[in-house]
Amino acid sequence: MGIGIFGSSLSALNAAQTGLLTTEHNIANANTPGFNRQQIVQDTRLPLATGAGFIGQGVEVGTVKRLYNEFLSTQVLHEQSLASQLDTYYTQIKQIDNMLADPNAGLSPALRDFFGAVHNVASTPESPAARQAMLSAGQFMVARFQSMSQRITDMADGINSQISNSVTTINSYARQIATLNQNITLAQAAFSQQPPNDLLDQRDLLVANLNKEIKASVIKQSDGSFNVFIGNGQALVVGAQSFTLQAVQALDDPAKMEVAYTSTAGITRLQQGSFQGGNLGGLLEFRSQSLSATQNALGLVAMGLAGAFNAQHLLGQDLNGTLGGNFFAVASPQVNSNTANTGTATVSAAVADYTALTRSDYLLKYDGAAYTLTRLSDNTATVLGALPQTIDGLTISTSAGVLAGDSYTIRPTANGARDIALAINDPAKIAVAMAIRSNASLNNIGTGRIEAGSVNAPAPVNVNLQQTVNIVFNTPPTTFNVTGTGTGNPTNVPYTPGSTITYNGWSTKITGTPGAGDSFVMSSNTGATADNRNALLLAGLQTQNNMLSGTSSFQGVYSQLVSQVGNKTHELEVTSSAQAAMVSQTVQVQQSLSGVNLDEEAANLIRYQRAYQAAGKAMQIANSMFDTILDIGR
Amino acid sequence: MRLSSSTIYDANVAALNQQQSKMLHTQQQITSGRRILTPADDPIAAARALEVAQADATNSQYASNRNTALHSTAMAEGVLQSVTSLLQDVKTLAVYAGNSVLTASDKRSLATELSGRLDELLALSNSTDGVGNYLFSGFQGRVQPFVNGASGVQYMADDGQRMIQVSSSRQLAASDSGADIFMRIKNGNGIFSLQAAAANTGSGRLSQGVVTNPALLSGSNYQVSFSVVAGVTTYSVTNTTTATLMSSGNAYVSGQPINFDGMQFDIQGAPANGDMFTAAPSSNESLFKTLSNLISALNQPNALGGATAAAQFNNSVGQALNNLDRGLDNVLTVRASLGTRLRELESLQSTGEDLGLQYKQTLSQLQDVDFNKAISDLTQQQLGLQAAQKSFLKVSELSLFNYI
Repeated sequence: MGIGIFGSSLSALNAAQTGLLTTEHNIANANTPGFNRQQIVQDTRLPLATGAGFIGQGVEVGTVKRLYNEFLSTQVLHEQSLASQLDTYYTQIKQIDNMLADPNAGLSPALRDFFGAVHNVASTPESPAARQAMLSAGQFMVARFQSMSQRITDMADGINSQISNSVTTINSYARQIATLNQNITLAQAAFSQQPPNDLLDQRDLLVANLNKEIKASVIKQSDGSFNVFIGNGQALVVGAQSFTLQAVQALDDPAKMEVAYTSTAGITRLQQGSFQGGNLGGLLEFRSQSLSATQNALGLVAMGLAGAFNAQHLLGQDLNGTLGGNFFAVASPQVNSNTANTGTATVSAAVADYTALTRSDYLLKYDGAAYTLTRLSDNTATVLGALPQTIDGLTISTSAGVLAGDSYTIRPTANGARDIALAINDPAKIAVAMAIRSNASLNNIGTGRIEAGSVNAPAPVNVNLQQTVNIVFNTPPTTFNVTGTGTGNPTNVPYTPGSTITYNGWSTKITGTPGAGDSFVMSSNTGATADNRNALLLAGLQTQNNMLSGTSSFQGVYSQLVSQVGNKTHELEVTSSAQAAMVSQTVQVQQSLSGVNLDEEAANLIRYQRAYQAAGKAMQIANSMFDTILDIGR
Repeated sequence: MRLSSSTIYDANVAALNQQQSKMLHTQQQITSGRRILTPADDPIAAARALEVAQADATNSQYASNRNTALHSTAMAEGVLQSVTSLLQDVKTLAVYAGNSVLTASDKRSLATELSGRLDELLALSNSTDGVGNYLFSGFQGRVQPFVNGASGVQYMADDGQRMIQVSSSRQLAASDSGADIFMRIKNGNGIFSLQAAAANTGSGRLSQGVVTNPALLSGSNYQVSFSVVAGVTTYSVTNTTTATLMSSGNAYVSGQPINFDGMQFDIQGAPANGDMFTAAPSSNESLFKTLSNLISALNQPNALGGATAAAQFNNSVGQALNNLDRGLDNVLTVRASLGTRLRELESLQSTGEDLGLQYKQTLSQLQDVDFNKAISDLTQQQLGLQAAQKSFLKVSELSLFNYI
């Protein structure tokens, strides 16, 4: 009997001790990331069957279990993965947002100052100071474009190295999970299927961390190991074996790192869009959705501005009396041949019409018979029979040697902001004047007046533009004769007041009633230091809708970019904070089951302490019982 | 619900962080004075602010352009005012010169005075803007427009008229070509001009002539030839352009109107046999030419003497007076257009200022912080943060371990 009490008390003492140990373990790990609180599971021992019935034999600790709910933990993983993606995207785009933020340092003030300087030249064409100021303002604007472009390039470089880092981290997690898989399987086998709780916690933590980098799905195996998959089902961990990812140069753009999958068969390139979630997903999405778009939009403003300005500048005449040259140096479209191309053709693209350019990139593919050009912004595909072809303001041409399957990425405006520069640095070379001027003879007797005349767009101008052309009215003055090199000297041209007269690449109008013999001359505009006609037209470009097929001004395209980036940043700010709240809620629910509550543990300490004391007391009673029996024998 | 201890801490830290970052945002708004710190704060307003800022900047630019236009127009107006009073003086002198009692030496001294006036006119027409650019030289700012050479004053520049963008939709002329002011002045009555042949020996004096029927004007040159046979003076009219004799043997009565092809004029006095008068469509005669013609008429040592000389002198002075009137008209017309431009500039200036005010207001509404609201927000956030901090302390103090 007494032995029974001893045995049962001892078992109670042991159980209480285990309980205390587990409680202490919980208290110690209250702040350990990934820790799930543990509990002992107590069972009654097998009872002793006697004639009087089953007599209890005490308690035993069946197992130490951790309070873990797979469903809740998986939910935390998913929410966390999305949260890190949004957070990374937000952190990145915030940089662009900040770059565009300052109203005094952004592109807008530079644009305004430049056109203000052009206006000043138009008002005071003879002032060398105004001309110099225009060059300086132009230089400042160009520098703004370049520095913003540099900033974007820096960000792209940063993303490349972050992708490499992220891939390294993912590989490291994958290896650790594989190792833990092995240890867990071994531990479970060795200790009769008792769960190695702390190892399981560690592995769960690794999976959680992996999900912060990239969205990974987990499939639990019967032996207790995890198989981890990423992307479109690529295995990252299978049992004790892990596979690696690798950051490699993109085929379509050597300046871009992308993620590839390394298997026994070698490197497999994957659709970058399939990497969703996590830090890596955020980086890839930011690069494809926002960074390139910003670069292209800035480039579009730069190229559109430079293109339109040059086109008008070429029609003018500078202070030295020579025809205007280019004011800006303009970038040319970037064409990347896919590194995997087998053909030897070189595809080139040139801008045919700056007003028709878009912000999109293009993909050109050859299938052996025809080219397909896909505009990547809206995936509009156009089949081009043979090159060269002009589409969206771009003329695409190729050399011989293309083979089926070859592809090329065309980025029309990618380098626009980087490569814009001033093409002139001499204030005298600004083409402020028109190349031609009109004069009515002082001997005219009629009331005919000739307009100042303008040079016909587009450049290049007619070679005979500045030849002296005489328009002399006949008797009766209903017709006129034209003489001058390049005009073909037509005679008896009918005169309609106010109708346009065009020869040698210029246009003018004669109004009123010219008399017989009246003559008008169109000639080279020598010595025209006070002529501002071309500067007026240049200044007018500021408010004209010269971009996006005539729907937007330079400032308009830039504002559109600011609004787009602002909206996306705002959207991400809201969604990422909402997602963070979601994460904290799911974590709270998960923690409400698995987290350590110190008050609860304090209560448990007391509970097990009391149990221990009670069992001790029972043992004391058993002892005194023995003493009673022993006293009998004395 | 069961709470884990770390949740209590995590949740509190997150709440504190959030409140602090909100407070920082409000504080930044207050220190920068801007409601929109980055475009993300209000993307639509940020983009709109850029557009409005550009509109505002161009508006200010137009204001500065208007000042340039105002300056150059006022300068031209000043010069033309002097030209006007000069021409009025010259006219007075010319009227005085027509006085028949003047002696040859009187006329010569008048001629000397007029020569001075001609030089003055030339100087005025070659006025510069103070930095060496000629006001009336069209596009060729550095080319002296009027040069006095062997064949009189010639215009060396062009017809260019410089325009200035004075508002988004308006370009206003900021200069006038010298040719339009000083050179393109129709002589005669503006439609046709009459001239007595230099070889006339009679005392026929021409009137200015009027157009009676514009529809009949042919633009041809005509010649009226007189013949005196036996004391009877008759005249014939020939269209010299088509070489057709239109009428002949018309009886001449001094002061009676002579009519043909929509034109009417009269001749007074006694034309001699073979005297000729021509009528031609008006052509341009510069103010300089008019003045020098007058001067040479005054300087003419008239060999014929008597009524013939008086008639020739009268014809010359009459013509000069005609042309001076037309020149004065022309200058006044240009001045009127300058005045209109100045008025328009002024009205545009006030419209521009209103517009600028509106832009600034819109811009302010779009991007400036409302200080009252921001400071009230800040106080509220401060209160919230303080409450969170205090309550966090209270909650964290609670633990069962305090009692065992």
